[in-house]
Amino acid sequence: MSKTFGKNDSVSLHVDGQAFAGSVHGPLGCAACHTEVDLANHPGAGKSFDSARAFSIAKAGVCSQCHEDKAKLFEGSVHAGVLRTGNLAAPVCTDCHGAHAVVRKAPVANDVACRKCHGAIFDAYLQSPHGKGYGKPGPVKAPICADCHRAHDVSPASSGTGLRDACLGCHTGAVEAHQKWLPNTKLHLQVVSCPACHAPTSQKSVDLRLYDPVAKRDVTAKDEQTRLDGPTVANGGKALDSKALWDLMRGVDRAGAPGRMTLVGRLEVRSGAEAHQLTDKSKAIRDCVVCHRKGADPFKNVTISIVGPDGRPIRYEAKQDVLHGPTSVESLSGFYAIGGTRIGILDVLLALVLLAGVSVPVAHLVLRRLLRKKQAAEQHAGSEGE
Amino acid sequence: MQKLYVHPLPVRIWHWTNALGFVMLILSGLQIRYSDAVQLMSFASAVQMHNVLGGVLILNYFVWLLFYLFTDKIRVYHPELNPAKHFRGSLRQLWYYGYGIFKGQPNPHHVSVYRKFNPLQSMTYQIVMILLVPIQFYTGVLLWDVNRFAASIQLFGGVRVVDTVHVVLFIFFIGFIFIHPYLASLGHTNLAHFKAMVTGYEEVEDEPGPKQPR
Repeated sequence: MSKTFGKNDSVSLHVDGQAFAGSVHGPLGCAACHTEVDLANHPGAGKSFDSARAFSIAKAGVCSQCHEDKAKLFEGSVHAGVLRTGNLAAPVCTDCHGAHAVVRKAPVANDVACRKCHGAIFDAYLQSPHGKGYGKPGPVKAPICADCHRAHDVSPASSGTGLRDACLGCHTGAVEAHQKWLPNTKLHLQVVSCPACHAPTSQKSVDLRLYDPVAKRDVTAKDEQTRLDGPTVANGGKALDSKALWDLMRGVDRAGAPGRMTLVGRLEVRSGAEAHQLTDKSKAIRDCVVCHRKGADPFKNVTISIVGPDGRPIRYEAKQDVLHGPTSVESLSGFYAIGGTRIGILDVLLALVLLAGVSVPVAHLVLRRLLRKKQAAEQHAGSEGE
Repeated sequence: MQKLYVHPLPVRIWHWTNALGFVMLILSGLQIRYSDAVQLMSFASAVQMHNVLGGVLILNYFVWLLFYLFTDKIRVYHPELNPAKHFRGSLRQLWYYGYGIFKGQPNPHHVSVYRKFNPLQSMTYQIVMILLVPIQFYTGVLLWDVNRFAASIQLFGGVRVVDTVHVVLFIFFIGFIFIHPYLASLGHTNLAHFKAMVTGYEEVEDEPGPKQPR
């Protein structure tokens, strides 16, 4: 027996009674969740759905009747944000906990629900010390997805400080260990994502996120007061150059704007899979020059981002010169990496000063010597003439 | 020639510490900023050296400041309050460096205990010591611990603004470190002013007269 949706979509109505009885919801019975069923008229003409997935998602809404706290957390998650944009692939309660054979905690290890959508990331995780160590006995329990990304209020991996805090939550001595050799440690931990160094083979990039210091939050695509919407940042599909970025920042900081918008820079890895290719700490990048030099790889890929409707960043490509142009002093005043993002025109100024510093004294000296000889010769000739 | 004691010991200690420190700060600064082109030392060593030297020179600055604040020698830094007189003196000095020196004309400035700087030096050192050096130290301290001084950096306009100011002054001081010793070699002998900064005594002519071109 099955319920059909459209032409080829259906969901089986069979429920494994034993599995349900053995589940945490067994004592509640069917009616606790299926409150809309009127046995006298069952099966009745219930609400119609376009697809089995839409039906499942709607049915999962019933969980919030009892699990209000978890439902609230979920509503703030990136998964709920994705659902709200109409993408039904995002998981709901039943995708992790099961529909009838409900388990208290979602299954973990290789059959973890996250793997269904994030397969490449999970494969990378399995090769990392976290994946290899998961489930093995030891003084510290290796984490799995939900331990870092949280179970219900899953936040976008590349926003906020949640993931860094997750790393430091277990690696409690990490700050002190970095302080022993890393100058400006707190700043580094703030602007460089952990995998940028601890996944040494990863491709890195710089993301410049628009930030509203008055509201103390990232700028979103909905922020009409800043007239900042996708097309503005998107620059008509072209990568932003330093002039376009300068214009953009002047536009959002126009007279009357509530406060000066800033771009908060962060060095990240380019893909989620690479972010999970973590290695043993002995292989982590410790060579400062990887970033602090001209032409360093991390500064070759630059994006400007705002927060999209689902909570995930929307990234717009920018040219490298946004980090190196003279206008960056104004448009990118809050982000600078010694050596790596240096302003080219200052290098020219230095070269000119070096040239002048050497040539002016040398020219002055040579001229003095030549004229001295000439004067001496003239004096000599004069004295002979007398 | 008579000898005038124009460089008291604290000034000489400050000067040579500052000179050595500035050269090392410039070298480590070049290494930090141009690690792709300069290979004098590791980046990490350069940062450490730059930080320590910066701290030493800030303390050293106070040797200079306190000495001049608490002695009457501060008169050497007193500005010429008559602008016309000041600019006339500056132009005369510029004319000497740009023309007179080639013709064997005498230096228009005559050193005395309370007037050891010519008008150009006086103006330059006032700007350098009262404005540029403190700004360089201040921006250096901010960059030394960006998080701790986040509020000041914000007030300054952002970390890139702070760094740009620090680098522009760094470039200025590189120019200074070339020009300053050259100008110092224009005494009555090439080493006269250098010796004076070691012994404290400047040799000055008894009576100003025409100077032989060198």
